[in-house]
Amino acid sequence: MKVVNMKIPLKQYIGLLRGYLKTQKLAMLWLAILLVSGTALQLVNPQIIRYFIDTSQESGSMELLLYAALLYIGVSLLNQGILVVATYIGENVGWTATNQLRVDVAAHSLGLDMSFHKNRTSGESVERVDGDINALANFFSNFVIVLLSNLLLMVGIIVLLFRENILIGFSMVVFIIVAMVSIQYIRKFAVPHWTELRQMNGRFFGFLVEHLEGTEDTRANGATGYVMRQYHLLLRKWLPVRIRAFMGWAAMWITTIFVFTLGTAVAFGVSAYLWQQGVLTIGTAYMIFHYTELLGKPIEKLRTQIEDLQKADASIHRVQELMELRSTIQDGDGTPLSKGPLSVTFQQVKFGYEEGLTTLNDINFRLEPGKVLGVIGRTGSGKTTLTRLLMRFYDPDEGRILLGDVDTRDPYVHELRKRVGLVTQSIEIFQGTVRDNLTFFDDKIQDPYIIEVLHELGLQSWYTALPNGLDSPLESGGGGLSAGEAQLLAFARVFLTDPGLIILDEASSRLDPASEQWMERAMNRLLHNRTCIIIAHRLSTLQRADQILMLEDGEIKEYGNRTELVSNKSSRFSEVLAAGLEEVLV
Amino acid sequence: MTNYHFLYRLTKYRFTLYIGNVILWTIITLGPIIPGLIMKEFFDKLEGKSVYEFGVGGLIALLLAVALVRSLTIIAGFITDVNLRFRMSGLLRRNMLEHILKKPGARAIPCSPGEAITQFREDVEHVEETISWSADAVGMAFFAGVSFYILYNIHAQLTLYVFLPLVVVVTAAQLATSRLQKYRAASREATSQVTGAINEMFNSVQAIQIAGAEQRVIQRFKLLNDTRRVTMLKDKLMNSLLESVFSNTVNIGTGLILVVAAQSMWEGTFSVGEFALFVYYLAFVTQFIQNFGKFMTLFKQNQVSLDRMKFLLQDESATQLVERHPLHLRGEIPDLIHPVTAASDVLDRLEVRDLTYHYPGTDRGIEGINLNIRKQTLNVVTGQIGSGKTTLVRALLGLLPMDRGEIRWNGKVLEGDVGSFFVPPRTAYTPQVTRLYSDTLKNNILLGLPDDSERIEGAIHAAVLDHDVEHLHYGIDTVIGPRGVKLSGGQAQRTAAARMFVRDAQLLVFDDLSSALDIDTERKLWERLYQSRESACLVVSHRKAILQKADHIIVMREGRIEAEGTLEELLLTNEEMRRIWNMGDEGNT
Repeated sequence: MKVVNMKIPLKQYIGLLRGYLKTQKLAMLWLAILLVSGTALQLVNPQIIRYFIDTSQESGSMELLLYAALLYIGVSLLNQGILVVATYIGENVGWTATNQLRVDVAAHSLGLDMSFHKNRTSGESVERVDGDINALANFFSNFVIVLLSNLLLMVGIIVLLFRENILIGFSMVVFIIVAMVSIQYIRKFAVPHWTELRQMNGRFFGFLVEHLEGTEDTRANGATGYVMRQYHLLLRKWLPVRIRAFMGWAAMWITTIFVFTLGTAVAFGVSAYLWQQGVLTIGTAYMIFHYTELLGKPIEKLRTQIEDLQKADASIHRVQELMELRSTIQDGDGTPLSKGPLSVTFQQVKFGYEEGLTTLNDINFRLEPGKVLGVIGRTGSGKTTLTRLLMRFYDPDEGRILLGDVDTRDPYVHELRKRVGLVTQSIEIFQGTVRDNLTFFDDKIQDPYIIEVLHELGLQSWYTALPNGLDSPLESGGGGLSAGEAQLLAFARVFLTDPGLIILDEASSRLDPASEQWMERAMNRLLHNRTCIIIAHRLSTLQRADQILMLEDGEIKEYGNRTELVSNKSSRFSEVLAAGLEEVLV
Repeated sequence: MTNYHFLYRLTKYRFTLYIGNVILWTIITLGPIIPGLIMKEFFDKLEGKSVYEFGVGGLIALLLAVALVRSLTIIAGFITDVNLRFRMSGLLRRNMLEHILKKPGARAIPCSPGEAITQFREDVEHVEETISWSADAVGMAFFAGVSFYILYNIHAQLTLYVFLPLVVVVTAAQLATSRLQKYRAASREATSQVTGAINEMFNSVQAIQIAGAEQRVIQRFKLLNDTRRVTMLKDKLMNSLLESVFSNTVNIGTGLILVVAAQSMWEGTFSVGEFALFVYYLAFVTQFIQNFGKFMTLFKQNQVSLDRMKFLLQDESATQLVERHPLHLRGEIPDLIHPVTAASDVLDRLEVRDLTYHYPGTDRGIEGINLNIRKQTLNVVTGQIGSGKTTLVRALLGLLPMDRGEIRWNGKVLEGDVGSFFVPPRTAYTPQVTRLYSDTLKNNILLGLPDDSERIEGAIHAAVLDHDVEHLHYGIDTVIGPRGVKLSGGQAQRTAAARMFVRDAQLLVFDDLSSALDIDTERKLWERLYQSRESACLVVSHRKAILQKADHIIVMREGRIEAEGTLEELLLTNEEMRRIWNMGDEGNT
């Protein structure tokens, strides 16, 4: 595997939480104050009722009773108000923190190398970056804060019960411990099922996204029935996973019911005993009962918080795992690349995408700065791999690659990619304006310059036809643009970044001959003072090459100066030229 | 279809399961009734007012027994609930997927796939919740009824004082929930913006890394996230305000009990046990009100999800969403029906008249196209970029919905959705941008056709893929990664070609197949195709190799057909053709 994986220690678990909330200390403080006051108010009300009951039994004045009732209502209203404000603050903290985490995870993922990305559908990535992190949204604010206030409530209740009678206090403590232990125990069974469920969700939505993107292929090849069948097969796999996850949930609920019943039984038993001893008033008996009921909410809340933690637990693991992944492509010490055109040197480079597979073997050559190299070979011979190594999407297994006599592993990856421009076969147009697609949101690139580049590439008629000029929207995947236009746009993108080495990977082949002519002319101007590597299998494109590199099954078949190879009739290049004569003769 | 009608139709799909679920959850919800009475008994015993002969031990035993029964019903209830939810969401997603797949391929969804996932995920989950909660709502209604009855028999006046304000509050809250819709819609929209952005990011990862644009893309992402936060906060605030209104009323209710009960407790006509029962049931009735309110909110907000799903399907009536179809969760999944070539399918001639399509909001596209394609001929559509070649082919095949035009297959006019006609065994198509799915190479080629090794080998040979298959780790059983990234560009295109060839169609349509192929490979492909001249071909290309072999060339310019004919004729008479052809000549050795 090309991506490194590390263990997940508990400390990082807590670290995940602390790091994101540190920035919101004030809000968290307010939240804490509000919830403590809310708790205190909740503890007061049963005392009011006890007072009420005992006073009514003793036939105290009606006025006192009425005051007690109104006080009760007042306290409740205040409590509600506090809860609304606390919810708002809590929600805000949660979203701010998870948004931060979400951005970090996205940024981290974007920085990972291609061996990570090619193994994941974007639907799965959506589940990771959004689905998993949403599960954490609750975790951040509610879990910590609600947990604390409920714990406080519980502690408060226990203290007050001890104050009434030691036996009661003690039995309640025992009860709470039994309750907590049982719930914790049950949780262990449920968590793995929730992880499994999230994974299954990811698979399912990954499948959906792929097929939503591939509607054209499906329709035109009559594969609708097949896709639907795959859907049904996935559903079958999904249902049992869901059932298991829900059974985990059911187990938790049932545990709390039993635990509750136990608590009520204890309250009954102990109160009856103390009543017989004459130690208890009936108001107090009621109050004990009420406090036991009040304990229900924290335990219940703890259960649902624990359920959310179950979901969050699984998500935390997955997010942690993702953040632990390190690209094998690390920044070097920051050696800068020279200005101007770069020379390209491959020294005994060997590379394979996986263990035991060799895509490139013993590649050795040097290209002088400002020269043009034409690379030819069958598809699958390793040409595209060569470009990926130059862009440092992968590092060679053996040997090294030098740009301007600097090993590609030395500069910062970012810097390197700025100096090397790549135009590929796959059109990556995303939803955004034309400007966004060309500059990737870099507002340092001025509009006049963009328009100039568009002109140079022969896209001026297309540009003037745009409804809103550079602000015109483009669709995801480039719908509404012909593939040739999209290709030229990708070309424009690269030219706008002013690289020292340009790699064209079979770029010209999408264009029809007349437009290609246009591009050739523009290329002449823009290639001035830049090194260029062209991967094409159109011999006519190779006319501008100074050197030729021929690859076959990952090895160099032939390398040399183009004019020399052409004049040498026994060279492989000459043979290929001869075979392609029909392209040359009219 | 109204919201209510939609949900009703959906539950009718598995009505027995739904009713079973409702019954079980009603029993579960009624659970607290008996423990409440047991508790009353206890206090009455303490006060010496007890009617029954239970000892404290007996009461405790009774409590435990009730808990046991409750647990068993909960297990049963969860089973029915999961199964019901799964079938509801399974059906909705199935219908959405199928109808999307039936639409003209290039205009199947009105938004990006990443955004569409919100409909498939959040909106469907919302419908699931609504249906599941409706069972609770029924249970809660029963609880309210039963507890009302018991309490009324104890102290009628007090019961009314408790229930009256609650009814008022529910009505008021109902009126308020309509305002909630717009907040929910806004937060859903913000969510789909975020998921859409994530999807885009990961689809264009390579381009982003090449351009070193990670920072800037992330900045933009940050903004979208913040917008979502704001809309979510508003949404949540409205919800919690509503919830607190419910809770407040309960407290006032309790306060009122205290006030009204004061008199009776003083007089001794109202026991502590009865008081405890009132407060106990009141707590549950509160829960009922809140849950019922939640359910009403869910129900109202379901309208938002329903609208979003209708939007995705571009269907006003939503009947497509609730069509009854089996989910095949048990037993055999029916085998796929494979198209058999009927006599009428054999292509004699394909005539196109006045085919016109313009991309919405632009005047780019094709205009007034007339074409004739004869059986077993090689037809090439050529032209400069943006001349409309791909648009022509896609509009012809029904992948784009034509603005106007008439297409005749063997003289018979095609009515209605042309796209459902132009499928194998009549036509097969390889688009410019190949989409490979996360599956084996074999499955990517077959896409459901029967596993006939001879046919597969034939298709692989025709697509000049044999050499590449040999070099794959597991041969044709190698799993190709998402979007076929593990394959080189040329290999992906040839896989798409193999996919087309294995279908044995009358008319093969290639859009710019040779763009990623080197000369040798390209030549072999056309040669092999030429040898087995079974099917007619329609090819979009400008490659000399194909132009020379073509029986008929169609030259396009700015969306119209500029000229047609054989290569010799066109080179003599047409400027555009010469322009296109002359490319290879520049700077020859």
